[in-house]
Amino acid sequence: MADGTSSQSETANRQSEMPSEAPSAARAWCVLVVQSFQRHWRVRQMGWVSLALLGVVVFWVALVTQRGGWDLPDQRARRSFGTYRQEAERLRPDSRYDAAAGGPNEKLLRPHEIPNPFNPTEDALRSLVLSVPRAVMNSEKFLHDWGFMTYSRWVVHLVFFGFVLPLFTLSYASGAFGTDRESRSLVWLMTRPIPRSAIYLAKFVGTLPWCLAFGLGGFAAVCLAGGPLGREALARYWPAAAAATVAFASVFHLVGAIFRRPVVVGLIYVFFFEAVVAALPGSLKLLSLTFYARSLMYNEAAAAGYPVDMLPAMAAAVSSATAWWVLAAAAVGINLAGMWLFARSEYRDDV
Amino acid sequence: MSNEPSASALVPAGQNPDAETAPSTNGKLPSSTVQYSPLTTHHSPRTTSPPLLLFEQVSKWYGTVLALNQVTLELTGGITGLVGANGAGKSTLLRMANGQLKPTMGRVTVRGVDTWDWRARRLVGYCPDVDAFYEDLSGRRFVWVMARLCGYTRAEATRRTESVLERVGMADRADRKLRGYSKGMRQRIKLAQALLHDPELLILDEPLSGIDPIGRQELLELFQKLAAQGKCLLISSHELEALEKLTNHVVIMARGRIAAVGTLQQIRDLLDDHPLSVRIDVTGARDVARQLLAMPEVLAVDVAPKLPGEPTECVVVKARNPKRFFEQFGKLVVEHALDVRRLEPLDESAHAILGYLLGGSGKT
Repeated sequence: MADGTSSQSETANRQSEMPSEAPSAARAWCVLVVQSFQRHWRVRQMGWVSLALLGVVVFWVALVTQRGGWDLPDQRARRSFGTYRQEAERLRPDSRYDAAAGGPNEKLLRPHEIPNPFNPTEDALRSLVLSVPRAVMNSEKFLHDWGFMTYSRWVVHLVFFGFVLPLFTLSYASGAFGTDRESRSLVWLMTRPIPRSAIYLAKFVGTLPWCLAFGLGGFAAVCLAGGPLGREALARYWPAAAAATVAFASVFHLVGAIFRRPVVVGLIYVFFFEAVVAALPGSLKLLSLTFYARSLMYNEAAAAGYPVDMLPAMAAAVSSATAWWVLAAAAVGINLAGMWLFARSEYRDDV
Repeated sequence: MSNEPSASALVPAGQNPDAETAPSTNGKLPSSTVQYSPLTTHHSPRTTSPPLLLFEQVSKWYGTVLALNQVTLELTGGITGLVGANGAGKSTLLRMANGQLKPTMGRVTVRGVDTWDWRARRLVGYCPDVDAFYEDLSGRRFVWVMARLCGYTRAEATRRTESVLERVGMADRADRKLRGYSKGMRQRIKLAQALLHDPELLILDEPLSGIDPIGRQELLELFQKLAAQGKCLLISSHELEALEKLTNHVVIMARGRIAAVGTLQQIRDLLDDHPLSVRIDVTGARDVARQLLAMPEVLAVDVAPKLPGEPTECVVVKARNPKRFFEQFGKLVVEHALDVRRLEPLDESAHAILGYLLGGSGKT
């Protein structure tokens, strides 16, 4: 160090002599956006956890799809030993007559299914009613609609929007500040000549591509694992997934900026607010972001002519326009609130 | 020391710098000493440009805890040491000075700009006490990113990065990952990022903590060079001894207040009327205590009972005038052939100066 005395003073002199460009807060903000994005790339642990979670879900969807789990004919019928296809076949008039004559399904006949040739009128009506399942099994449109709505209900609405998407967004959006807080490196940002509110916004903008990549990418993966039904769901629902991702990212970014344990708070929000409140009857569900995302999907499915009454929890869905407005307003409003709060909050690394 | 602040560098706000003949304390000194007062008058000739750093009646509460209590301070240049025990309020004061914290009451400004305003951070370089970086980056990359976050173009950021790395002596060692750096190297990188935007004021929070003696000496030399280049340095430390090598001007904090401010000599002069404590491990402690009490300079003697692990008894003497006391004690030892095993002037250390000023609470 001592031997570098002269060189250091020369350098100092050089620094003062050289013309320097004035620093720009706008440029600093853009750099912070890129830096936030890159920090997420470096913090791979969250990515691996998210990918593992996604992998489990994709595996489950692919497995169920492979077994034909979304199709009505292959599903186990209620109060029956066989599938709906087998049940429909069993209820055909000739099958019932065969069974009544001592065929292999004789013991499966219920009292109201036993043929009564001594009362032709009653028997004809009964055969007509009991032939409906067989007719249904031959209706391609009904089977497709049923399969699509089943997939929508269980995979998209329940698992992805109720569980995977919030967790994906939570892991990335809450980490925008959470990672810096945990590593106590936030001080480096807070000492830069950038307005605090701009730091908050830059962190959000830098994190959003990751949230969208994992949110929409995860949605695509889950849908593609679902075969043709999944591909159709992807085509119809991706705007809702994108809107929900942005809204959730706004919420969890705010949570990450306010709370010291953002993941815990976020999980509580996901499992005890979004999951429960969105499914409650009454107007309380209007507070849930998931409800509006599901409303978008509900309206999309209804517009395409699908039997949306298969989504009982969405009976009070709002219009698509309302849902878009609410989700957009939530994202903007929450970010503005976060900028306002962050600009007034103190950063302390010693507590 | 060439890097000491000018005569007006560190004076209580509202006081004429020329009147700084004695340090001020929190009301424990005679009325002739300088007292802190709110900024009601402007005797200072520096009226054209706002002071570099100004605390005006600043208080800070953390919930029910009062961390800073009515602090008024003005800083204009040179190196200023900020010392105090843990919890004295040093870090709170420094974080307010660079806009990390807001005062509950009062105002903190840098060149007239409120430190909470982001524009003030262009005037301040902050070297935090936290030892946390983006560990996966190299030192050079980290400093470059910090330069970019200051708003410089790529070329300008690169130029400034190389310049500050050379200034802190890290130009040839900055390509390794930060996680592999020694404590001293990390301190240098922290210092480098604080210098990037060529700030007028450098705030260094415990920069010597955990540094080995050689590294410490190098950092002290670096601080002096920075001060020689016109920077104003505000350096906090637990260890007054370390700061003594750097500057003679200190601010001593205790319990959220500025307990004293001025040169070390001025502060020590205040201690003449305060008793000096000396621990003496000696055989026959009770007899020695009796002889010590006969000395005119001795105010009190405590005989500590012999502890199981201690080889001898000890006495703790409180003497009025250290110099005269040691002369008399030397004679006593020779005349009575005392078996003195250990002589530890407890109050001669810089920590004891704090202790006196803080009324016994300043032991560090």
